[in-house]
Amino acid sequence: MVRSLFLFDMTFWLYLAALTLYIAYLFARRPIMTLAPAGHSAGNFDERDGAWAMQLGQTATLITVFGWIVNTGALFMRAFERMQTSGTFAPWSNQFEAMAYVSWAIILGYVLLELRYKIKAIGAFVVGIGFIAMGAASLLPYRYQTAEPLVPALNSYWIYIHVSITLTSYAAFAMAGGLGVMYLFKERAERRGSTSRFYAAFPDLETIDELGYKAITIGFPLLAFGIILGAMWANYAWGGYWSWDPKETWSLIVWLIYGAYIHARMTRGWEGHRAAIYAVFGFLMVIFCFWGVNFLLSGLHAYA
Amino acid sequence: MNGQSDAMSEQKSPRSSTPGLGWEEFSRELVEFFASIKLAMFLFLFIAITATIGTVIQQNERPESYIQEYGESTYRWFLRLGFIDVYHTWWFTSLLGLLCINSLTCFYKRFPGVWRSMQQDRVSVSLDFVKGMKQQAEVSIARSKEVVAQELAQHFIEKGYKVLAKNEPREVTLYATKGVLGRVGAHMAHLSATVIIVGGLIGTYYGFQDFGVCLEGQTYHIPRGNFDLKVDKFWIDYHENGSVKSYNSTLTVIDGGQSVVTKTISVNDPLVYKGIWFYQSSYGDSWEQIEVARINIKDKETDRILRTVDLEWRREQAVPELDLKLSMTDFVADFAFNSTEKKVFSKTVEHANPAIRLAVNERRAVQSTPWIFAQFPDLFDIKESKYQFELVGYTPKKYTGLQIAKNPGINIVWTGSTMIVVGITLSSFIFHRRIWMKILPTPEGVTVYIGGTTHKSQIDFQREFRKLTEKLQRLSASPSRISGA
Repeated sequence: MVRSLFLFDMTFWLYLAALTLYIAYLFARRPIMTLAPAGHSAGNFDERDGAWAMQLGQTATLITVFGWIVNTGALFMRAFERMQTSGTFAPWSNQFEAMAYVSWAIILGYVLLELRYKIKAIGAFVVGIGFIAMGAASLLPYRYQTAEPLVPALNSYWIYIHVSITLTSYAAFAMAGGLGVMYLFKERAERRGSTSRFYAAFPDLETIDELGYKAITIGFPLLAFGIILGAMWANYAWGGYWSWDPKETWSLIVWLIYGAYIHARMTRGWEGHRAAIYAVFGFLMVIFCFWGVNFLLSGLHAYA
Repeated sequence: MNGQSDAMSEQKSPRSSTPGLGWEEFSRELVEFFASIKLAMFLFLFIAITATIGTVIQQNERPESYIQEYGESTYRWFLRLGFIDVYHTWWFTSLLGLLCINSLTCFYKRFPGVWRSMQQDRVSVSLDFVKGMKQQAEVSIARSKEVVAQELAQHFIEKGYKVLAKNEPREVTLYATKGVLGRVGAHMAHLSATVIIVGGLIGTYYGFQDFGVCLEGQTYHIPRGNFDLKVDKFWIDYHENGSVKSYNSTLTVIDGGQSVVTKTISVNDPLVYKGIWFYQSSYGDSWEQIEVARINIKDKETDRILRTVDLEWRREQAVPELDLKLSMTDFVADFAFNSTEKKVFSKTVEHANPAIRLAVNERRAVQSTPWIFAQFPDLFDIKESKYQFELVGYTPKKYTGLQIAKNPGINIVWTGSTMIVVGITLSSFIFHRRIWMKILPTPEGVTVYIGGTTHKSQIDFQREFRKLTEKLQRLSASPSRISGA
């Protein structure tokens, strides 16, 4: 128990370091048109400055990848510990583990995104959400963090697939939410004509918008799959595939909210600003579905 | 973003300019309304908002608990609006019905176009049409139009596109397309909504859900299946730390007087026979039966305990030294007496006031059947008897709670579920891409006009488009001009 908690703790600090570096990276970047101070040639200055930013960015990526590896190790360690205490190993069997898994998925998603699109500025937002998820997990009381044996209803192979798929969809929506916030930041800067160097490394609005949309198109089918796997599990464990339990209903609500978004994207005027606000709103609903329902509403899912 | 391809099909069938209230006009408007994305968005959000009601207000509680929590006038409003059972109100069901109509109409209106585009697509387009696309480029190449066309066709075929070409004396038109399956997927998802809801309705009307409290060793008749179910055994497994790991019942189905199936069920592992599912749902202490009762037999005069006996359920036990025969015939967990029917029953399922009924046979002369209370030892006294009986403890009998359900619509629901997952996945990850190219000869060679459209994932398409134009530029020896992208 202690070993995995140590690794989870380490993950938390690594993500914090990565986030700090990503933010530093944003501040280090300078717009190309900087006035060269006397005695320096403009060319040299830009080059040196760019190199500094590049090093920061590379370190940030390295730390993120390292943090993710530790996160993976922590989940494996937890799976191993679960295997010893009870027969199942799913390292997402309680709120704490689920949060740690979500941040694992968010960071994985981000690393893949950076590999593919080579945009580091997104790190400040998306790694930020991954870090917050990990931080919120470590704020849970100790008794929620340990690997207690599962109650009989959860003791089933369905937990491996239903929970992991649903949580992965949450991670995708979290990424979309982070990108939405980033879009709104950048848009505000553009509207004000801000020349702050902070925004220089941001990709253009259209790219942020499109990436956010992409994250949602990944999360949407995953959530549908997760809900249906949940229905199949319920059919085995509770004797009915749908019982309008608050958690069930809220995951359906979240799915409907994103369903509306997917359809809205087909019509004009729903890209950009509105889509960004909507993505942030959708993510808040995901947070409620994930946390709020467990702590505020009672129901069959009360244990998770 | 989807607009371009839809706009195109709309251009082909211009609206009749004569205003009127003809049936055709009306039905077209109706289809337009019910197939609209706006209606879909409205329904999605409205269902989402109304669905929250049932998660905030506890559903299907007793009226008193609502009145206590919200007050009487609010409760009356709840009743009027159906808030105490939101998901089964006429208006919530209608919303789901509207969603079905919406998605079906959309399928009816748009799927034929997708189908046509799977069969055959439009190759000939005007140059203005190509130039007007969201993604478009123009490259001049010093080669003959056949060579360029060949090269382009090769490029697209390698990338998995379907390529159609039309060679005319003054121009070559190429059309490349890929991923129409993404659109088929979207329509599959549209149909699935209705399939799932139909499956759900069949389940509600032709299925049932019951709950049975069953005791070990008993046989129960299942009227809806016309067979019997025997509970052979019930037991609980524990984790090392003492928490419950699983609870299990061994059940035997007896059909036509013969044992047909025997299975041990536990949570997450039900028994299915003739379409009826038996789930291990819960367990608890029975309120009408116990395993063993411990009785102290006291001498009335000396108040001394003469013997302590453990009585098993309904098994007579002799105590020869005292010339006694005892047996426990009944048990109630929470004693109550129905004075009109003259019957003893258990008020609740809680073991709040447990009592057993003892059949006493003393010296073959005194016969009595008193109720003995655990909490009130002096309540009943047998006058002719030398002894007093005290209930000092008992081992409760566990019952197994079985959920018994039949849902004939379930496979339809799973079919719809598969359709929705496959459909959404296809439409999320496969983009319908269409690219038109016009190759026009110029004095130096040819100019290629390229225009393309996709309904999703613009940046990936942009990147693909950029690579294509770069490839074309490399192909050309002459300087080129690029616009757009």
